[in-house]
Amino acid sequence: MIISISVPSKPEASDTKAGSSVVTPGELITDDPTWMRGHGTYFLNDKTYSSVAGTVLKVNKLLSVVPFKGRYSPETGDHLVGRIIDVGQKRWKVDIGGEHDAVLMLGSVNLPGGILRRKSESDELQMRNFLKEGDLLNAEVQSLFSDGSASLHTRSLKYGKLRNGVFVAVPSKLIVRAKNHSHDLPGNVSIILGVNGYCWIYKTPLSSAADHSASTAKTNAELSSAASGNYQPGQGSVSITRLEQESSWDIYSDKNDALSASIKDTISRYKNCLLSLSQCNIGINEIRLVRAYEISLGYGDTNLLFREEVRQSIGEDVIAQEKMRGAG
Amino acid sequence: MSRLELYSPEGLRVDGRRWNELRRFECQINTHPNAADGSSYVQQGNSKVLCLVKGPMEHGANLAAGTKLDPNGPVLSLNINYPPFASNERKKRPKNDRRLQEISIILKRCFMKTIVLKNYSRTAIDINLTVLAMDGGLLACFCNAITLALIDAGISLYDYVSAVSVGLYDQTPLLDMNALEENDLSFVTIGVVGDSDKLNLTLCEDKLPLDKLERLISLGIEGCHRLKELMDLQVRVAGGQLQERQ
Repeated sequence: MIISISVPSKPEASDTKAGSSVVTPGELITDDPTWMRGHGTYFLNDKTYSSVAGTVLKVNKLLSVVPFKGRYSPETGDHLVGRIIDVGQKRWKVDIGGEHDAVLMLGSVNLPGGILRRKSESDELQMRNFLKEGDLLNAEVQSLFSDGSASLHTRSLKYGKLRNGVFVAVPSKLIVRAKNHSHDLPGNVSIILGVNGYCWIYKTPLSSAADHSASTAKTNAELSSAASGNYQPGQGSVSITRLEQESSWDIYSDKNDALSASIKDTISRYKNCLLSLSQCNIGINEIRLVRAYEISLGYGDTNLLFREEVRQSIGEDVIAQEKMRGAG
Repeated sequence: MSRLELYSPEGLRVDGRRWNELRRFECQINTHPNAADGSSYVQQGNSKVLCLVKGPMEHGANLAAGTKLDPNGPVLSLNINYPPFASNERKKRPKNDRRLQEISIILKRCFMKTIVLKNYSRTAIDINLTVLAMDGGLLACFCNAITLALIDAGISLYDYVSAVSVGLYDQTPLLDMNALEENDLSFVTIGVVGDSDKLNLTLCEDKLPLDKLERLISLGIEGCHRLKELMDLQVRVAGGQLQERQ
């Protein structure tokens, strides 16, 4: 008996290999054994196969497949937003949206009383007074362990507990690693775009606003660069004496400042703009977010921005504007 | 035997198919981008199944308290939701239905062989299956839906696992059975690894003559290869959509 199944029309899917380098699990990438095998591949009988659906990436002799979707995998130096989920012996467990939870050691945070202070046993006992379960913080990846989990640090005034704002999660794929991940936006609002896709939109703190007014004394060139948001070496850094002063108990306070209704409105508008970009699957950066914000102002009421079709149209407008201005 | 004519002398089955024809197969992935890491929807004829995958992560919601995470690979947990309205007769199933428990163990074993274990030490992967409508091929639908959802979640797999049920009517093998045929005939469900002839999953709950088994399995493999092609096409379409604008 001939076993065959009737096939109405065979789609020519296998012919796409030459045009684009999209591969799916189990697909043969190469039978050349000289390639080194990276993430997203496996090796069987001198042949390299893909293990995820994604695009092939070749760097020198290293062959890897970047999946279309997937959890965030940390890299040293990444600026993250995370949430404390557990307080343990000398360490906090932090949810960063990755495959593993990150750890934040007691030794890698700034404690009240300056940086040169030794950590004592009493610090260990009152860890929950600094950061407790559910607290949000921004931090940097200090190092990676062999299984891919991360160790964080907050040893800079940029990092630490988050207040006065709202948390938004977007797919980590949409946020591209850049020099700077915290931005001051129009409307007296700031944002931290964590590389892990967790974002924090908050009221621009008074001290940084004061910095801006103090910078009037600086040269014009410096001023314009600060206004356009370009990072300059030394910008935003503080002297040692400032550091002593700022690292008081205030940095671990749970109290929000009084926020005016207009600030709250602006924050929620930015939140919806961020979600619009995420819904349309558009890579997120400061420029696009500000453009989305400007477009959203045309809709007036913030409540309108909850609607799916409004979000879709905001996303499309951002892309259209970008094309008009020549890839901004 | 029931009074129904399951296979007419002209070679037509109850729903008008020939012996070697699949039911209409439709699938989608990334159906719930905000609710889970990976999601899929599979429709085989009138059977409809939804699958959500969460993970890999360090704290599984379905994990029993105190379960240790395995340093050699992920801990799979499978949850099947089979509501009363899903099957032909409305019937409430007990929470620990024996048949569903067995199916979930079989699926777990199958996918522990398919996932690249070494990449996922000390993690948990939660799989949630929901049956929206069932018209035969329960295990096959589950298997196809899980494969797609795992791929959508970006989890490393050695290959696709596509599954189909094959039954025997007198001397004739019948591909991809519906509920009417499943009630009256004995059948076997097989899951095939990618484009190979390797079986990753077999389940036979009835008696089958041994000499007919080989023919059933070779028909099943042909059907699985066709399903794999259809799933692959959909994965590429969804991948293209995800890539478009970044």
